Amino acid sequence: MTSKNSFLASIRENNKRRLWVWMLSALFFVLAIPVTISITISRQMNNLKYLTEVYGAALAEDAMHERLVNNLCGQLGFSSALPVFTTIIAVAAAIQGFSYLYSRKKIDFYMGMPVKRSKRFRIIWLNGVILYALPYLLGLIISLLIAAGNGAVDGRVLFTAFTAYGVNIIFYLSVYHMTILAVMLTGNLVITGFGFLVFCFYEYAVRYTIYGYRSLFFRYFSYHSMEVSPKISPFVWYIGIADTFSYKNTMDFKYLAALVVFALAIGALSYVCYLKRPAEAAGKAMTFQVTKPVIKILLTVPVALLIGGVIADIVDYEPGTSLKGGGYVIFTLVLVVIIGSGLIQSIYEFDIKGMVHKKAHIVISGIITALIFLVFRYDLFGYDAYIPKPEQVESVAFIPSNYEETYGGVARFDEKGDYLSEEAYAREYMRLSDTEDVCKLASLSMEAYNRLADTLSDTNAMSYNPDSKWSTATLIYRLKSGREVYRRIWVNVGDEQTAGLLDKIIGSDEFKKGYLPGAAENLLGLLDRKDRYKIGAAYGNTVYWEELSQAEIKEFIQIYQKDLALANFTNVKENLPVGMGRITISEEMKGNGYGYFSGSDYAYSTRSWEVGMNIYPFYENTIAWLKEKGYYRDFQLNMEDVEHIQVVNNNTNAYNELVEKQAMEAGAAGVGGIIPERAEDYYRYNSTLDYDSDMIDTRVYADYTDSESIREIASCVYPRDMVNSDWDFGVAGENDYMVYVYFKTDSPMTRRYGSSVSYVFPEGQVPDFVKNDTAYKE
Amino acid sequence: MIEIKDVTKSYDGIKAVDNVSVTIRENTVFGLIGTNGAGKSTMLRMVAGVLKPDAGAITIDELPVFDNMEAKNRIYFIADEPYFFANSNAIDMQKYLSSVYREFAAEDFYSYLVNFGLDKKRKINTYSKGMKKQLALICGVCSGARYLLCDETFDGLDPVMRQGIKSIFASEMERRGMTPIIASHNLRELEDICDHVGLLHRGGVLLSRDLEDMKCNIQKVQCVFKTTEDEAKAISCLDIMKNEKRGSLNVLTVRGNKAEILAVFATVNTVFFEALPLSLEEIFISETEVVGYDIKKLILG
Repeated sequence: MTSKNSFLASIRENNKRRLWVWMLSALFFVLAIPVTISITISRQMNNLKYLTEVYGAALAEDAMHERLVNNLCGQLGFSSALPVFTTIIAVAAAIQGFSYLYSRKKIDFYMGMPVKRSKRFRIIWLNGVILYALPYLLGLIISLLIAAGNGAVDGRVLFTAFTAYGVNIIFYLSVYHMTILAVMLTGNLVITGFGFLVFCFYEYAVRYTIYGYRSLFFRYFSYHSMEVSPKISPFVWYIGIADTFSYKNTMDFKYLAALVVFALAIGALSYVCYLKRPAEAAGKAMTFQVTKPVIKILLTVPVALLIGGVIADIVDYEPGTSLKGGGYVIFTLVLVVIIGSGLIQSIYEFDIKGMVHKKAHIVISGIITALIFLVFRYDLFGYDAYIPKPEQVESVAFIPSNYEETYGGVARFDEKGDYLSEEAYAREYMRLSDTEDVCKLASLSMEAYNRLADTLSDTNAMSYNPDSKWSTATLIYRLKSGREVYRRIWVNVGDEQTAGLLDKIIGSDEFKKGYLPGAAENLLGLLDRKDRYKIGAAYGNTVYWEELSQAEIKEFIQIYQKDLALANFTNVKENLPVGMGRITISEEMKGNGYGYFSGSDYAYSTRSWEVGMNIYPFYENTIAWLKEKGYYRDFQLNMEDVEHIQVVNNNTNAYNELVEKQAMEAGAAGVGGIIPERAEDYYRYNSTLDYDSDMIDTRVYADYTDSESIREIASCVYPRDMVNSDWDFGVAGENDYMVYVYFKTDSPMTRRYGSSVSYVFPEGQVPDFVKNDTAYKE
Repeated sequence: MIEIKDVTKSYDGIKAVDNVSVTIRENTVFGLIGTNGAGKSTMLRMVAGVLKPDAGAITIDELPVFDNMEAKNRIYFIADEPYFFANSNAIDMQKYLSSVYREFAAEDFYSYLVNFGLDKKRKINTYSKGMKKQLALICGVCSGARYLLCDETFDGLDPVMRQGIKSIFASEMERRGMTPIIASHNLRELEDICDHVGLLHRGGVLLSRDLEDMKCNIQKVQCVFKTTEDEAKAISCLDIMKNEKRGSLNVLTVRGNKAEILAVFATVNTVFFEALPLSLEEIFISETEVVGYDIKKLILG
């Protein structure tokens, strides 16, 4: 049995050969951190005299203490320098500690000694941990002593510093073990370096490749369905822990547990590999023969597909419509498989002639690459055709892209009050039980879209077509088997049958609660969280706003949510809102990541969100309540504020006609002079004709100052930000007409907005006299 | 005793040692001879517990050697290129070796350093190649290990130094029964040191014999027989390994002890008769030629 003394003696002996790593660690932790802390404290303290003069001794002391504490929490907690340095030390300690395994000379010496392999591992491993943990702890204590001498240490600093210490040790172990594993699998320093980089980036590269191929080849791929960032990465977990701690002052135990499990698992794997590692692997590229072909294929295939994807992007490969660029992509895949596989083999053999060895590996890599490519290219697993049967589906989330977005904001929250994105919110809270309608809509939309897309050479052309009424929506099918299936479909919102289905889906209570921010039950819950949030509300139309009292906010939301039952796809599409509610939620950020000295006190940064709620003419209860409270306005413009209105008509049709005519004449002047009947063709096929369209101006201005005209215009205009023909292609604004409302100089509106505010006529509601006044005449 | 039984070791599918069985007794100097690539270093590295055999077993005093501290405490392995810690001096090496070999003789170590004229404070990386080999040998001798495995350690040492090492070996063998095992590709390097020799070729053992046995058992005789009848009579009575005729002069390599051979020659008429001593090289040539190998090509180049 190994005695304690002999173990310590061995550790001492081992340390003698690791001095430069000790130096590196000590320089950062024992020197750099305390010196940085001293400089920071000294710089902060220089302001104390000024603060005392301006704000008095007591307030200045408090402010200075708060400022120092926050600085220390930042520097001794999860600073950005620590993970970088932790990684550097971990990699250096692991490689330096086990680098004897690269050298036959050293292996002959060490393995000839009467020291058990397990004991040698323990000694080197423990030393690698000590040379990080000890200087870090020492530096931390010195820094805290310096800070304590300046009265800058309190419970928060100690808690932050030692929490970060613990987390950094676990993070260190994760990276340390990852590097040890890379050393155990390789027999050469350079290859170990490659191995470590592969461990760090492999999952990211594979995910990025799959993501790219899905989005390239699958028409209905939803980018929500997968994240590119790795799931198994100590770096990602560490950043998650640091962010949560810095901004929320809490520990992310999920990531912490992942980090601990990862460190233990990789540590155990490294140890097993160490015990299995043959001494003759020293100096070779790879330690274990069995891993050579596996690693080669696992590297070659994704790299080939990744580079193929990049080339597809460069050559604008459109697999869904044609084989344009396909040759380049296939050539790239073949080339990368051959070169990649050959290159790895030549690294294995440390001989460039190895490029042509092990041809079977090239063939296997090529076959796998081709199979994967074909799976994506020809959708062999039926990704794009998949629609689950309604009876297989437990519930669905139907998430239109940017539907009912209001100028008032679209923030959504979970029950804890944390912000969620549109997709995350719907995923959590939207559970449409009428799965049949959603599946029917998916089937109808996908069939129609397939027919359309198959006839187009360029699918992007559809989005340029002004008559196109296709919008996208993400579907999350929650299957009874527990699986979640994501698809992003194109919906023809102009289609009658589609509209009927959308009325049922969007009109359902489940959709509204899971999508519309104002319908969320969590919103009412936030009102009771006065400890965390400051909440305000207003009703208006983006130009005029009326602040609601605190007592009215809850009542307003409840009435609005009741009226929401009246809304469906069609009536929302066909109507413009008469106004909108806006709930403002703000929160002071008390984590270490925020905070500043505001002059009179230490203040925290705030973050705020807005929740908008469109009020439609058929929301009778809400409108009655607003009228009762005196917030409702019949017109979108208060005539008493208006001095005059200017309408500018771009006369776009007339402009286009003139441009075409001029171009025709330019064509005639060129070819037309010789062959007049070919002038039109010349114009059509020569886009670089010599004419100047900037000289054409068809804009016509009309100013209205009389109250009758102003009244008539005011009765039909809307603030530009209120008229959004978005997802549903509902009522749009007359974009040819620009309406500038100039307020009287003594009006509060002038003080708020300056001279004018932009309004718009809804489609088909331009008064005749305005049309006449602004029509273009040659 | 070191027992190597049916040991095989391959590197990337190439057999370096193929089914070798050798026994190395204590208190002898064992020479392991072979050409480059014969498997000597692999053999020693396996005996030292550095490499694990693919098949077969190696025991040191009946203890399996691989990762066995009890067995490894009895071995000190000096590789063909001995390793010393970067920027270290002899004192650093002594401290380290004292921490791993429980019977390391620190006093002897420093005394040998003085005898060999090695500066204990001088950085080892400034030593010459020969000095490094001397230091490695001193480390091995002082480690207290019973078996000292030397891989090409004597190659390149000057005669004075070889004599010095030889005398240290002799005293250590006498004092504590040390058993040096010396691998070399050069037969002449080992001739004056070894008691027992094993010849490795292409991963296998061609022979393993006591040097004295070999010397006593083979005689070289030059003679001129009076008549062809005398020649036929003598040859029929002797175990002739080799017979070279240069005119009437017969040069015979004969198996058997000297007295028996002289007795046979006493019964025949010779014009000229002379018994000559055999060098190790000649013994090897004779022995291996019998089994069909051209030793000159194998060992002597």
